[in-house]
Amino acid sequence: MGEVRTPLVEFDDLAVSYGLVQALAGVTGAFLPGPTGLLGPNGAGKTTLLKTLLGFLTPDRGRMTAFGKDPTREPLEVRRRLGYMPEQDCHIPGMTASAFVAFAGELSGLPRDEAISRAHEVLYYVGLGEARYRNVETYSTGMKQRVKLAQALVHDPDLLLLDEPTNGLDPQGREEMLALIRDIATRRGMSLILCSHLLHDVERVCDQVIVLNQGQIARQGEMRELTGARKQVFDVRFKGDATAVLTDLKDMGADWREGDDGVRLFLPEGQGPETVFRVAQQCGVQVRRLRPGAETLEDVFLRALGHEIQD
Amino acid sequence: MPIYDQGYRRYEARAPLRKARFWPITREALRLVLLRRWFLVLLTFPLGVFLWYVGRIYLATQIPEFGRILPADGRLFGEFLNVEIVFTILLSIFGASGLVATDLRTGAILAYLSRPLTRRDYVLGKLLVPLFLNLAVTLVPGLLLYGVGLSLAPALFLKWELAWIGPAIVAHAFSISLVVSLLTLAISSLSRSTRVAGLGLFGMIAGLEMMRLILQFAFRQKYAMLLSVQADLRAIGVALFGLTDRNLAVAWGWAALVLALLSLACLAVLRSRVRAVEIVT
Repeated sequence: MGEVRTPLVEFDDLAVSYGLVQALAGVTGAFLPGPTGLLGPNGAGKTTLLKTLLGFLTPDRGRMTAFGKDPTREPLEVRRRLGYMPEQDCHIPGMTASAFVAFAGELSGLPRDEAISRAHEVLYYVGLGEARYRNVETYSTGMKQRVKLAQALVHDPDLLLLDEPTNGLDPQGREEMLALIRDIATRRGMSLILCSHLLHDVERVCDQVIVLNQGQIARQGEMRELTGARKQVFDVRFKGDATAVLTDLKDMGADWREGDDGVRLFLPEGQGPETVFRVAQQCGVQVRRLRPGAETLEDVFLRALGHEIQD
Repeated sequence: MPIYDQGYRRYEARAPLRKARFWPITREALRLVLLRRWFLVLLTFPLGVFLWYVGRIYLATQIPEFGRILPADGRLFGEFLNVEIVFTILLSIFGASGLVATDLRTGAILAYLSRPLTRRDYVLGKLLVPLFLNLAVTLVPGLLLYGVGLSLAPALFLKWELAWIGPAIVAHAFSISLVVSLLTLAISSLSRSTRVAGLGLFGMIAGLEMMRLILQFAFRQKYAMLLSVQADLRAIGVALFGLTDRNLAVAWGWAALVLALLSLACLAVLRSRVRAVEIVT
């Protein structure tokens, strides 16, 4: 029997709009303890959900609770237990990293001495120990991301909100940031919500996932459920009418959709390029090009939404 | 080995939220302002004015003829504070015009508002910065000057009928400092650039003063003085200290009303601009 975990955050029929623009259209769900991914394309409503949780936005309808409290009515009580790493730049000009992080700790309610002490520890933890007395303005993008993480961690929140933490990072910086976040979640036992439009980032860190699309929850549950049934992807170009080939492949459990240059095929487990060549030969159709493709977020969304891809 | 293996300590203690949550904001902002050497130099200019008025009191006690030309009485403190208005504006332009603008530009506003702070805490924390700077060149030297007057010339100032001077200094210093600080912060919140905010504040104050001068002297419009923030503040001083200024002939109540409305407008601007989420509809 599985362990029953009390959600840290629950939301029911939550609708939030910016003027006439509906950002969240009646979403219902929960964030459980542990690392949870909030996945969706730009404009899906991910940041809006986080900002509602922080008490910045008042829902048009529905309700949200964090740690049993309503963020709209008791924002201070909720925020003191949250750590927020915003997507955009966030620093105070003229301040060194250690002063900035200590200041953030103090604003979160830590006594001054404790805030200073923790600022140093956290800056070491995120890998900025040697650079902590430098002005944040002189930092590279990767270092600024780490400072943002440090200021979100300094007061040891119960739930860490990370909004696109790998934005603007080079591949190595991105891997280091993801490793750090994974460490926070697994070895330090801190719950977090990782908000991203990159499937890879969420996959690396999170056990749970909520997929948002156009202000609605497309899917929520275990990460492996979303990616477990992943199919092999190939971009194929046929010569002539390939309808018969595609129909036969569909009968064998494959999906397909029109790609930019040909057809994107999603083959089930156990099937490979040889299947495509064989079926094409049987149907008398020539394969002009076949190359492995990577499953995109769009593909995952389409599957999460339960769409028949070939429709 | 990844550097983050150096450890992370959980922090279990949760103290109740402090009442003066705005204080770290004020303290850090003041620290950053006072780190600028040129700003400290700017702070010494009002000191020169203060010393001139100390000299006036001293000379009035020593040379009766001097006292007849430039009398040392209750009005002297009003004159002093009215001169200091210019310095409050200068200090606000150079020291405080970027307080909100910079936070909007660098995204630091989120670092504040995602904490257990209300928008009121943030505004109060920021407002206290120009307020302290302005009180440092109005209230502090004003009261010091009064102290100098009492000690150097008790025959002139140590009288029951002049007991109003102390409260008048406090009231006028606060009215000047509060209005200028609110205006500075409101204009700062309207821009993302410190320079633009500073120029905006200067432009507004200087522009309105020029408009007043044109309307008042070219068109003989006596109510034109209400247009100028400086003139309105000076009118309060004129009323409190019994000064005479024929250019400020409108009843002080009107000036006070204009300043109160201006302060309310500044608060409204701050209310709409200081937000964690910018909503564009």
